[in-house]
Amino acid sequence: MIEARGLTKVYGDKTAVAGVNFTVEAGRVTGFLGPNGAGKSTTMRMIMGLDRPTSGTVTVNGAPFARHAAPLRGVGALLDAKAVHTSRSAYNHLLAMAATHSIAKKRVHEVIEMTGLADVAKKKVKGFSLGMGQRLGIAAALLGDPQTIILDEPVNGLDPEGVLWVRNLVKYLASEGRTVFLSSHLMSEMAVTADHLIVIGRGRIIADAPIQEIITGKGQSRTRVRSDQPDQLMHLLAGTGVSVELQENELLEVTGLDPRRIARIALESHVLIYELTPLQASLEEAYMELTKDEVEYHSLITTGADAPVQSGGN
Amino acid sequence: MSSTPTTLESTPSPRGAHAGRGAGDAVAGKMSGNGTSPGPGPSFLRVLNSEFIKFRTLLSTLILLGSTVLVVVGFGALSAWGTGQFSEAASTDPQAAAAFASQGGDLAVGVPTSGIAFAQLILGSLGVLLMSSEFTTGMARSTFAAVPRRTPAFAAKLLVVMVTAFVLTAISVLLAGLVSLPILDNYGLKLDLASSQSVKLLLVNSLYVAAVAAIGMSLGALIRNSAGGIMSLVGLFFVAPIAFQLIPGDFFVEARKYLPGNTVEPLTAVQHVPDTLEFWPAALVLGAWVVFPLLLAAFLLKKRDV
Repeated sequence: MIEARGLTKVYGDKTAVAGVNFTVEAGRVTGFLGPNGAGKSTTMRMIMGLDRPTSGTVTVNGAPFARHAAPLRGVGALLDAKAVHTSRSAYNHLLAMAATHSIAKKRVHEVIEMTGLADVAKKKVKGFSLGMGQRLGIAAALLGDPQTIILDEPVNGLDPEGVLWVRNLVKYLASEGRTVFLSSHLMSEMAVTADHLIVIGRGRIIADAPIQEIITGKGQSRTRVRSDQPDQLMHLLAGTGVSVELQENELLEVTGLDPRRIARIALESHVLIYELTPLQASLEEAYMELTKDEVEYHSLITTGADAPVQSGGN
Repeated sequence: MSSTPTTLESTPSPRGAHAGRGAGDAVAGKMSGNGTSPGPGPSFLRVLNSEFIKFRTLLSTLILLGSTVLVVVGFGALSAWGTGQFSEAASTDPQAAAAFASQGGDLAVGVPTSGIAFAQLILGSLGVLLMSSEFTTGMARSTFAAVPRRTPAFAAKLLVVMVTAFVLTAISVLLAGLVSLPILDNYGLKLDLASSQSVKLLLVNSLYVAAVAAIGMSLGALIRNSAGGIMSLVGLFFVAPIAFQLIPGDFFVEARKYLPGNTVEPLTAVQHVPDTLEFWPAALVLGAWVVFPLLLAAFLLKKRDV
């Protein structure tokens, strides 16, 4: 279990992490989602004792990481795929890491097999692709068979097979009762991997909830309605908590009413509707909604108000 | 929002073992807590083993070590030849004879250590590189995630570097001596490798090179940049002595004695050399050049972000 309390990191006049509080529970995959520069990596480095918090504390299983008696056996982390001297072979890198905790050579071979690095283990890391570098980082994280696993952008640079592998691996690790904390800016990946989501933007936690709650909570259920008499229907549907938007000539998007209710209102007033499609908010939408004020770097070319509406959750 | 207890006062204390406890109490029951480690942790011997594995598995390190031996032995042989030529000249050239006599007559004893300046440059740079590369490659994040107290890893690396520098210099000087023997013999010069002055030269120079490697490590840890670290080392050992000599004024004449590179002469001289320190002050000054940068490096290593 990871607990951050008032965790703050200030670099010069820039606040990277602004007094965040969160708890990462054991036995589930907790996603750490946020735009670039939101403070994800800084937070993870503070958990690992690599960056010193400006104020606040973060503990793993009740104690700051630096006070752990056997750090690698308690917490394994992939913080940066390039946390390796690239002139050393993958095997020797893992061997040196293992030596600090008297982890057997057998375990080194095990994690090499597990991460699919057997063919390249004796080669210098210099020649590794980004994906192989990630696998080596994950191998290093698993070396001590730790109770807590922290992975910063683990699927970065992985091929589809590798992405699936990481997804299954973290789910398996969580199912064994381990604490899994996974950062990503890829919402689609989070949607299928994480059980619980902590969303960070500009150094602040903007959501901390089960993933389903975030999707349904923020992105309210919407319904697409086509009708011959959109103006009349708009008038009929209007009410508190309901918003109706005329999107095309005969196309409405209704928020705040479920499809059955819309159909009933239309039926009662004899308004013909010829399409009624429930739109489930995707995590992407929920996330955009949550972080729209929090992104550090806005694109110069924005799609503006007429951003395409995605239909169907994924 | 899930269970987020009220914010605790921030406790920036690095020794905040207690700091997280209050917040953790509510859920502490179901965790075993950190204290019960499931296996051995990073004891100093294990960290030392790890640092030794890191040291011997870099080809560039092995190349630097090999070139140190070659350079010291090569310079030993060259120096033996040069010394022979010089002594031969002394038998016919009165000027050379005078210079020869002024050296106390024993030129051969210094032959095996004639390449020390280069050993010092190479192994000092190695000290810089082994530390700075931790930061330039990102390896430091792995190293300090495994040893979050950091100073044991620094001390272990220091031990590996210093012992290697000492042993390698001693072996190189010995080899240089052995290679020089037949060359000197050719010119009728005697060199006794077991004489007290030979042994003293070997030991003091090896210790000195180990000290330079340690200073290099401090520079690498402080500057965290390979080029910058090596430039500083070269500045301290090669540029400063010359610059101090060129700048007029008594201050620089005096200050020059305290440069680390100028401490080895009084430590090995048979009799006191003008404009250098006495033996013990020189030993203390060299020790200070080793200890204070190391303490500063260790302190900042613990304090700074990786």
